[in-house]
Amino acid sequence: MNTNSDFGFRIPNWRAAVFAALLVLPNGTAVAADAPRLAGDLDAKGLADAVAKDHGKVVVVNFWATWCVPCREEYSDLVRLEKAYRGRGVAVLGVSIDFSKDLPKVEKFLAANHPEFPNYMKRSGGDDQDFIDAVDPKWGGELPFTVVYARDGKKARVLSGKQTYADFERAVTDLLKP
Amino acid sequence: MNASRALFSLLVTVALAAPVLADGPAIGAPAPAFDLKTLDGKPFSLADAEKSNKAVVLMFIATKCPVSNAYNDRMRDIANEYGKKGILFVGINSNSTETESEVKAHAQEHGFGFTLVKDPANKVADLYGAQHTPEIFIVGPDGKLLYHGRIDENQEQPTKVASPDLKNALNEILAGQPVAKAETKAFGCSIKRV
Repeated sequence: MNTNSDFGFRIPNWRAAVFAALLVLPNGTAVAADAPRLAGDLDAKGLADAVAKDHGKVVVVNFWATWCVPCREEYSDLVRLEKAYRGRGVAVLGVSIDFSKDLPKVEKFLAANHPEFPNYMKRSGGDDQDFIDAVDPKWGGELPFTVVYARDGKKARVLSGKQTYADFERAVTDLLKP
Repeated sequence: MNASRALFSLLVTVALAAPVLADGPAIGAPAPAFDLKTLDGKPFSLADAEKSNKAVVLMFIATKCPVSNAYNDRMRDIANEYGKKGILFVGINSNSTETESEVKAHAQEHGFGFTLVKDPANKVADLYGAQHTPEIFIVGPDGKLLYHGRIDENQEQPTKVASPDLKNALNEILAGQPVAKAETKAFGCSIKRV
């Protein structure tokens, strides 16, 4: 996991971050002590490394942003999916595409939704096209966007736009079959 | 059959006859023609606009999308600069969630001097396979698609743009050269389709 952050702090791992002490965001907004926190920021290589750490599992990577209405609408289904399938070999990762100045909004969104899976911010700087193409050459940059990796680490499903719980469930159950 | 029923029948026929394309035109392929009314009530025909301009820049934009809004000043300035050089800019709002009056007010607030159209039922967005805002298509005088993609690579910091892709494409078109980087990508808000 990438622990180098542009945010001015280091996060050893997301589980520890969940239990972090009361956080006061740069805009003065207080986030509850048990609120989920960002696991850090990452670039395309960092994302590939994060996915590789869950080798052997079906890994769902969801790209979202607080400014993206359909992303916000589908996010609770990802939270539900991860809880339902974590014991069956499914891991979920979230990647926020928000502007770095909107870190407080990202933290607030996570606090409201309580994901029990790691969420990162795409590292600011660089060319977004390189990141988009590294994730999937056919991705045009629209959000939300979800990539599902099979147990062998290979990209197996690409879901563009807002999905339902049934869509997410179908994508992972297909890949969990022996 | 009265006039309104005849019109309804025609619209249904057109809707059924015109397939919605999942993907837009490729670079170099004919750009789909369309006719709409501008927000100030004038007819707009892409085919006519192609004939009377060195290029037509179609900009799928939004009023409530933070990414599109990050480009308001840049769109206004580029349209002003290149409008004087014979390029026509057309802002297209295809979002079902944004009304014509909101689009007008937004344009006034941000000093947009370019042509604006509302795209009812996102038919033009479907024709071009436009997925998000802002998303740009440049159509040449021969009606072919010359560029598709972003305005530049730096959504957050306009003063630190390293790859002004739209401007580069326009400069090459004005110089009679092929567009070197004809397809680019950026993140954006999905178009809110009906």
